[in-house]
Amino acid sequence: MLSTVIEVASNIFFLIGILFVFVGMVGLLRLPDVYNRLHATTKIATLGAFGVMIAITVKTGFSTMGLKAIMVGIFLILTAPVAAHIIARAAHRSGTKLWTGSVADEYAEDCAAKKDELNCDPDKKL
Amino acid sequence: MNLLDLALVVMTLSLIPCLYRIAFGPTIADRVVGLDALTLVIVVILGAYSYVQESSFFLDAALVMAIIGFIGTIAIARYLEEGEIF
Amino acid sequence: MKQYIAYALILGLVWSFVSGDISVLNFVIGSILGLLIVRSLEKLYRPDKDMTFRSITEHLPKLVVYFAVLLIEITKASVQMARIILSPRMDIRPGIVAVPIRATKDASITAIANTISLTPGTLTVDVSDDLTKLYVHAIDVSEPEALRHSIRDKLEKYVLEAFE
Repeated sequence: MLSTVIEVASNIFFLIGILFVFVGMVGLLRLPDVYNRLHATTKIATLGAFGVMIAITVKTGFSTMGLKAIMVGIFLILTAPVAAHIIARAAHRSGTKLWTGSVADEYAEDCAAKKDELNCDPDKKL
Repeated sequence: MNLLDLALVVMTLSLIPCLYRIAFGPTIADRVVGLDALTLVIVVILGAYSYVQESSFFLDAALVMAIIGFIGTIAIARYLEEGEIF
Repeated sequence: MKQYIAYALILGLVWSFVSGDISVLNFVIGSILGLLIVRSLEKLYRPDKDMTFRSITEHLPKLVVYFAVLLIEITKASVQMARIILSPRMDIRPGIVAVPIRATKDASITAIANTISLTPGTLTVDVSDDLTKLYVHAIDVSEPEALRHSIRDKLEKYVLEAFE
């Protein structure tokens, strides 16, 4: 009885994780510019990977495998926002424009006020 | 169709957007995002293998892959931003 | 000295998880290795001088609350983003907004930035030089004031309680 419940629960976690990763990659294809694509990969795909790792932990309990899996999941959740932040900042400072439908860009305004320090020349081409 | 086949088919389908971004991304930042996502999909594939076969060897590879992907992303982003890594 | 021991114990816990065996012997081995690493790589980080064991134990329950809130917010964020991505005509109004923050310590600013990145529709781009503002890229900035308000009242409260 209990083993059946564990089996079903871990399979559900696993399938939800796989589905979230797939939806995140669809977002990577469909969304219009770098910053919006980062939204897709940072949130959805990371949660999907975390779901797969949680599924392994639920299936095997706190064995060698389960502990390693939860470590991988925590590592992914801790590093995904840092990587997203550094890619977004590098993209903005190297002159990648926001999508034409964007509403506001207060970062570029503050950058223009002190152009020398922040090195964000909007005319720089890549 | 068992669970491993399903997972591998879906993950292979999700590799296509990453490769598209790496090949045709309009800017370099798009390519970096694509590489980051590619690493994440590979980690999930390794996780799926170890989930179905219940062996912990793939998880070591997944951990190393996650670490290398993170450090590689940061190195490329720093190079893009400042023109040097260190 | 106290902060070295605390960092070493955290590294010992990480060692036990990565090697996949939680036992007292393994934890002690990991802590000793952690002490060597923490002491020899001291130049790479700034040790928190004010840290005591008492402050850690006092903050522990609030940290648990913070992580629970974080997990719920991540799930909500993912469902919301999935709905945006899968809708046939994409109705988004993205933009970058400056959000003032109250936190002063480096650890709490990092925690707030990472929390913002993982919550619905927002992504931290940069922090201003004087550490008072975060630049946040949001999917929907039709109401910038409401966005600032939601970050300040809903998220920052938990982070300030847990880290300061």
